[in-house]
Amino acid sequence: MAEEFNTESMLDMFLYESGQLLEKLEGIILEKQDADCFDDADINEIFRVMHTIKGSSGVLMYENITKVTHKLEDVFYYLRESHPDDVPHMELVEKVLAVSDFVTGELDKLKNGDTPDGDEKQLVEDLDEFLGRLKGEIKKQGIEMPQANRHVEPTQFYITPVAGDDSHFYRISIHYRSDTQMSNLRAYSATYALKEVAEDLLYTPDDILSNEASADVIVAEGFHMLLQTKSSKEEVIALIDSSEAEEINFDELTKEEYGNALGEFGREDAAPAPVAAAKEAAGEAKQDKPKPGDYVVKTKEAGKGKTLAKHQPKQQSIISVNVEKMDALMDLIGELVIAEAVVLQNPDLKVPGLELSNFQKASGQLSKITTELQEVIMSMRMMPLTNVFQKMKRIVFDVSRKLGKDIELEVIGENTEVDKNIIEHITDPLMHLVRNSVDHGIEENAEDRTAVGKPAKGKITLEAKNEGGKVYISVKDDGKGLNKEKLYQKALEKGVIENKPMSEFTDKEIFRFITLPGFSTKEQVTEYSGRGVGMDVVVKNIQSISGRLDISSVEFEGSEMTLVIPLTLAIINGIVVQVGDSPFVIETASIKEFVRVGEDSLIYEPSGEEYIVLRGECYPFIRLNERYSLPNSVDKVEEGIVVVLEHEGSQVCVLIDKLLQEQEIVVKPIPSYVKKIKGLSGCTQLGDGSIALILDIAGLLMHDGERR
Amino acid sequence: MKILLAEDDFASRKFMDKQLSRYGECDVMVDGEEAVDAFMMALEDGEPYDLACLDVMMPVMDGYQVLKAIRDIEAQKGIPKSKRVKVIMTTALNDERNVKMAFELGCEAYAGKPIDVEKFEKVLTKLGLI
Repeated sequence: MAEEFNTESMLDMFLYESGQLLEKLEGIILEKQDADCFDDADINEIFRVMHTIKGSSGVLMYENITKVTHKLEDVFYYLRESHPDDVPHMELVEKVLAVSDFVTGELDKLKNGDTPDGDEKQLVEDLDEFLGRLKGEIKKQGIEMPQANRHVEPTQFYITPVAGDDSHFYRISIHYRSDTQMSNLRAYSATYALKEVAEDLLYTPDDILSNEASADVIVAEGFHMLLQTKSSKEEVIALIDSSEAEEINFDELTKEEYGNALGEFGREDAAPAPVAAAKEAAGEAKQDKPKPGDYVVKTKEAGKGKTLAKHQPKQQSIISVNVEKMDALMDLIGELVIAEAVVLQNPDLKVPGLELSNFQKASGQLSKITTELQEVIMSMRMMPLTNVFQKMKRIVFDVSRKLGKDIELEVIGENTEVDKNIIEHITDPLMHLVRNSVDHGIEENAEDRTAVGKPAKGKITLEAKNEGGKVYISVKDDGKGLNKEKLYQKALEKGVIENKPMSEFTDKEIFRFITLPGFSTKEQVTEYSGRGVGMDVVVKNIQSISGRLDISSVEFEGSEMTLVIPLTLAIINGIVVQVGDSPFVIETASIKEFVRVGEDSLIYEPSGEEYIVLRGECYPFIRLNERYSLPNSVDKVEEGIVVVLEHEGSQVCVLIDKLLQEQEIVVKPIPSYVKKIKGLSGCTQLGDGSIALILDIAGLLMHDGERR
Repeated sequence: MKILLAEDDFASRKFMDKQLSRYGECDVMVDGEEAVDAFMMALEDGEPYDLACLDVMMPVMDGYQVLKAIRDIEAQKGIPKSKRVKVIMTTALNDERNVKMAFELGCEAYAGKPIDVEKFEKVLTKLGLI
């Protein structure tokens, strides 16, 4: 939203501004929650925030918000003016948060197009009572009572338009039969009928009455309308005279699509007013602010829509861009990377004895630019994790207060930047993990902690770092840790594992039980966690962005949950290998090693499975040629190459014929008309133009597991 | 009370006329210039308007120009702030910059279209008109 505010309506502006202020407020509060009192700067800041929200909500006539913020402003007014000692700090913090929550709730209602009807009475009474005590305290301390905070009632009001959010947006295209006479008049009668219900109506061609030639255009290309209305689809259809019409296309659009479509109809702004920006405006100076006189309606030309003399100012240093466009640009750059590879590795260049030194220079330059281009588009999509972490602070504060646990939160690396898409995917999982840590991780009683020699105050560390093309976000607590024995027993009970002794599982495998659906070792379900949904959802969410969850824990010392997420989803480093005649791509990060082994390292199971023994360790072995029925490939192990792959701590070996090259790979999904095949996650185009399949290690492992 | 309504769109004009006529005598203008003329005429006759509802997008002069003209005339005639006509802008142009500009020009209220009748009435009460 941050980039859009310049053209937003008054209401949007209020929502945006208040949202920002509240965020700031919460930041201050949570930072100072453990201090003894707020310092002067904080008190001033909170006062200012409340004052601003009070003022603007007053102008917009949201009275409950005004009343609540007004009261809190009063409280901080007295704090600011008379600096009383012994202010119950924790209570004050709670009051501020309560107000912040109330206002946030009301703002959310407004965002959804509802009326902010929350009841402020209780809150105002509480604040009154608190303020009363505060004043008593001030008197007792003999400080001079400041003059009552004088409030100026707003003298200017903004009446928000009746919620326009229930408007429907339609794109209607009418194609008339080719022998239709005077189709322009028919089209005009359609627009006339629609004007009755339209909040906004645009059509093309737009000179239907004054230009008779438009009749031919309408017959040839159809008559297109964009309509914003409160009426339902059926009502609108009933209004349009469908005789002589060959075909009427009726699409409902979302508000965004409608905004985009406005451009196609030649309107430059997306303001919901029935005006089109005049394009001539020759010589008119560009201006940042509207002026009186900008909105004079010019005399209408027959059959034309109203036009304004205003030249829409377009001078901004920040522009907001639709995310879809960014994605499209990202895709295009991906294609460019492929095309670059196609050119630079073109088979035509492989003629022996070709003098290529100039070509090499030029191609070096090209590669440099494409790499930079990739970096730039990536950086445009990057956002710091600050906001996400801010939310976590609040969660720790809330949950720990509710549960009566004393917990300190340490945040490291909140400025780490990750792709915007990824932020959207990790907020919920991270919230789960943090809640879990507060609820289950940290001990119930401080005595339990001191008994094992830990400080009474629990500690949760939230850390983000950027390493080797991946982002690591970890939630660490110094609580009781995971009990392996308990987890194993529980897994047996739930029947998620067969009767294998505990020693057959590694620690990591046992910890990973908690990510299975319906698995909760907590006997009691609390308000916050323990239902066993959650961890499996966390894992699913993370996997959907090709990340993983690492769990490590030492009993009585604490646990650490780490999300490992790729920095970007679209371009990976890969190794191209060949099996038979087909090229495959393996992500470089998942390759542990390449080895050549002899026949004697293989173990055959009667069931037909094969294993490979490397330095005393046994790995499952997959022959890609057999798995995907590829002819003309190497059958003997010693003639091919064995690649050891790793995913989430489990390994698998695959047999390939030979290694081809290393390359930046732009991941493309396998087209939907191809059956989904386990073990393949996508495809890409190689330098010589051929298509290579990308191996999905997780899929290979899973497939292998199921066969067993 | 005496009301000045300036609105060029027929449907809106009819609607506003109906609404406002409940509170008093309503003079209806179809463009900005007419509105200023009417305002001056009323002032000269010693029967100034109590409330002016101005559309923004109008022929000849837009609502902001009318507002500015009205406030200029009042300043020139030395009419005290409390006696000034209360002005409510009525328009679908409700982006923040426009609203702020209107407030700076000195309107009392800014009503986004479609108009919320309930709130409109509330504002009239707050402005002490009804």
